[in-house]
Amino acid sequence: MAVTLKYPFVKIEAPPEYRGVPHINPRLCIGCGACVNACPADALLRIDDYEKGTRKIVLDVGRCIRCARCDEACPTGAIRMTRNFEVATLDRKDHVEVVELRLHRCPNCGSYTDYTERALEKALQILPEGLFDGDEIRKRAILCRNCRRKLTVDDAVEASREVVE
Amino acid sequence: MKEWARKITDEKVRERYVNEVIERFRDKIIRVERNADNQWMIEIRKEDLPEVIGYIINHPEWKETQLSTMVGADERPLRGKFSLIYWISINGASGDVFFGIKTYISEDDPKFPSVTPIHPGANWYEREVKDLLGLIPEGHPDPRRLVLPDDWPEGVYPLRKDFHYTDSPKREFTDETKYPYREPPKGTAVFPLGPYHVALDEPGHFRLYVKGEEIVDVDYRLFYQHRGIEKIGENRLTYDQVNFIAERICGICGTAHALAYAQAVEAAGGVEVPERAEYIRTVMAEIERLHSHLLNLGLACHDVGFDKGFMDAFRLREHVMWLAERLTGNRKTYGMVVIGGVRRDFLEYRRSMIEKVIRELREGFQKWADQTLSTKTFVKRCEGVGVLSYKDAKRWSSVGPWARGSGRDLDARRDHPFAAYKYLDFKVPVYKEGDVLARCLVRAEEILESIWIIEQALDEMPGGDILAEWKEIPPYQEAVGFTEAPRGEDVHYVMTGEGNRLYRWRIRASTYNNFPALPDAMRGNSVADAVLIIASMDPCYSCTERVQVVDARSGKVRVLTEKELTELSRKASRGV
Amino acid sequence: MSGYERIAFSFIAVCLILFLPPLLDGVARKIKAKIQLRQGAPILQTYYDLVTFLSMEPVYPTERLAFRLAPYIAFASAVSAALVLPYGRVIPVSFTGDIFVFLYVLAMVSIAYMIAGFSLNNTYTNTGANREMMIMLSIEPVLGLAIGTLALNAHTLRIGAIPFAVTFTLSVLLAYGLLAYSVYVEGGFIPFDVAEAEQEILEGVFSEYSGYLLGIFKWALMIKRFALLWLLSSFISIPLVRNIASGALGGALILVIQLMVLFLLYTSIAVIESMNARLRIEQIIRQNAGVFVCSIAVLVLAALGW
Repeated sequence: MAVTLKYPFVKIEAPPEYRGVPHINPRLCIGCGACVNACPADALLRIDDYEKGTRKIVLDVGRCIRCARCDEACPTGAIRMTRNFEVATLDRKDHVEVVELRLHRCPNCGSYTDYTERALEKALQILPEGLFDGDEIRKRAILCRNCRRKLTVDDAVEASREVVE
Repeated sequence: MKEWARKITDEKVRERYVNEVIERFRDKIIRVERNADNQWMIEIRKEDLPEVIGYIINHPEWKETQLSTMVGADERPLRGKFSLIYWISINGASGDVFFGIKTYISEDDPKFPSVTPIHPGANWYEREVKDLLGLIPEGHPDPRRLVLPDDWPEGVYPLRKDFHYTDSPKREFTDETKYPYREPPKGTAVFPLGPYHVALDEPGHFRLYVKGEEIVDVDYRLFYQHRGIEKIGENRLTYDQVNFIAERICGICGTAHALAYAQAVEAAGGVEVPERAEYIRTVMAEIERLHSHLLNLGLACHDVGFDKGFMDAFRLREHVMWLAERLTGNRKTYGMVVIGGVRRDFLEYRRSMIEKVIRELREGFQKWADQTLSTKTFVKRCEGVGVLSYKDAKRWSSVGPWARGSGRDLDARRDHPFAAYKYLDFKVPVYKEGDVLARCLVRAEEILESIWIIEQALDEMPGGDILAEWKEIPPYQEAVGFTEAPRGEDVHYVMTGEGNRLYRWRIRASTYNNFPALPDAMRGNSVADAVLIIASMDPCYSCTERVQVVDARSGKVRVLTEKELTELSRKASRGV
Repeated sequence: MSGYERIAFSFIAVCLILFLPPLLDGVARKIKAKIQLRQGAPILQTYYDLVTFLSMEPVYPTERLAFRLAPYIAFASAVSAALVLPYGRVIPVSFTGDIFVFLYVLAMVSIAYMIAGFSLNNTYTNTGANREMMIMLSIEPVLGLAIGTLALNAHTLRIGAIPFAVTFTLSVLLAYGLLAYSVYVEGGFIPFDVAEAEQEILEGVFSEYSGYLLGIFKWALMIKRFALLWLLSSFISIPLVRNIASGALGGALILVIQLMVLFLLYTSIAVIESMNARLRIEQIIRQNAGVFVCSIAVLVLAALGW
């Protein structure tokens, strides 16, 4: 009984538990960058462009060590380990996946924030009802850091003035 | 807990050892501190290093004492000084104690008395701190370069904190930077082996000085594959990330490294690991041992041209690899161990898979062993070859099957029980002959023991959590973590730092302690056996050589025509 | 014997000598693969390898002529050795005293290997050549004495004529055993393949050869193995059927039986090879020295008429 197979002329399926090449589902990715922080091998990068207002999440499978930390960290299940293990290619670019997302723009000052539109949307979506003052948070969350700080200061000044008066 | 485990973790036994050292060197000790359950740190002045270390290592009554690791660190940002710690362990099932003999060395006078003349096992360690930190061991018998490449400039010390991990000094390869190999003894020819050789699985260069086919002496040059893992671990990675990089130190015993690292951090940070996770760690470590030993036994067969044994061993191994793939998601890099526990639980179906595979493996392996040991030509080739005497094994602080084949009765699983080994019952096979056959037999018996350990662990595995929560690890805590990798004890030292990062991480793979003993085992043997002896040590070059960032681009690049290249290689071959 | 028979069988002989050895090698590889539970390479793989080698330019590590000539010398010697053996009832080249020629040209193959090994300043090739020399020096006398014993019994100095004339006595049976042993050792099968040990000395001399020179050298060694085994198979098969086989048809019968025995021998050698590890050179020399003493005793027995 011979055990060698005629691979690659026959197809081989990896077992269901297999941690293969990771893949980002661009529909689900919100560009939060949790995977980037988790990745030990720097296979995932976050590249922001505040001029154009885009964020790129770049996955380079050529650097990936298949530890599946990104899979665990992802809040939306966008990045998943697949069962694919065949990565040989003649072009290194084949190893790179890029997801480009729009950064959120501050409606007040018009500059780009350091989070994406989708991340904001997701954050507002999972906001537990009743626990916080939802409207107040919604009002502030859409602003950039500077404007938010300014608004907070303005509000405080306003409030203190009210107290004084 | 088993009887022997209780005995060696007995607080009284440990205190006896520690008290004796304190009693004897009362006036020399500056500070004593207990870092972890089984680890004592004793600070002394650097002048007293050889005396104190010599006393502990050569103590006539303490069993199988040995230099487990030595750490040099740049603590200038903290204390304005460099530090050195010699970690010495007591083994032989007689008390679970690690002594960390620490000393500080100032920058103005970066010299310290070498311990190597008293204990040769310190040879590599001291050369390494010389290369990487610029601390000079005085009186070292062999102060050649060990770790850094030949053309690395003098005076640049990559593990100092003022060397950024992306730095790459300008290097130029000249005749002067050529490695000073020992002059061949009179009347011998040089038989070069490697760095690229069919039977060496990784690069390493040996110079065999031969008379006819007899090896008279051996010189070597290693460290062809540094990847700067320690430096990266200290600079770029967080505690959790290091685990996965640690696992990739080695292509075979990754889990042993990940586990040693996790245990070091757990000891430093006081993280309690759930019992179920301990059992799962144990099973994974044993599965790793199974495939590693099968690989080594197979290669031993291959090196003597017995390809039937080679193929059979690798086929048995394949089932273990498939099992690991089902359990963890990968054949080799399991990614199971994280600080605080493990990542994947053993579900019921996986458990029955393990049981099935190890049952078949036991049967298949016994058949394999019968077949191989009844192959006369195989036994003839292994018997009496590459003898490493007990004295030499002890002298070089050798570990693992390499040392157990020479009669050293030490096994970190039993002597410093970690993970779930303290609850389990197993034997440590020891042979006195010290030849290749003895080491093969040690490995063969360990395979059967591993199967038995896995069976027990599956039976006794409790329920519950597999991962403990931990929030913050206090900074500047020091500890060592140790595992018994298939090749012997692996020791990881960590000094925690701020900002979720390590301050210092020192990896010591088992081969690091075994390799320097190799020339002793090779002398007097035939060239034909050189490769077999090297394989019987089960060397793991990439484990051993992990330290420095290497930039491959050195000097000018010139494209040679095929003719020029041939001409060059002809010249080179005349030069040998 | 008709001229046609002679021409036809000589032609077949040349074809067998040149083109059968790679097939035998392929069969042996397949058998080893099956024993190791592998699929193994196709049976014709050795032909493919040879074609590849022969179509490639070699790289010369030295300018010495000896290095370039050695493969051709080995090839010519191996073919000559095979030509003095019987194929059916025909011996392509036959003359009194060819027994010595056979031993001589057989040794020439090893000598070519040594010349190549010593023409280079490379420890691996030197060690390979050195080992080849030691093996040759220790086993050629045994082979010589074994054939000599048979020749003494058959009263002929033509190697091809011996199996047609040999009568079975105790010494002849012992000589057969010695012949089988020396053929096995001289053929460089495991555990005696030390001169070309891959793991120890990177296949010795072959580490420096490439392209068609390597192809010719490997081919030469395969032909040498063929010649040795054909000698053994002829000595086994011809005495079995020499009395009933006459004429061209009888010759064909002998040839078929020779071939069958050859394959049988090759198969069993493949099995022995995969069941053994390689020995060390000094172990081999010690063993061969013992066998040599035995072979002298056998010759004495034969001289006494036993």
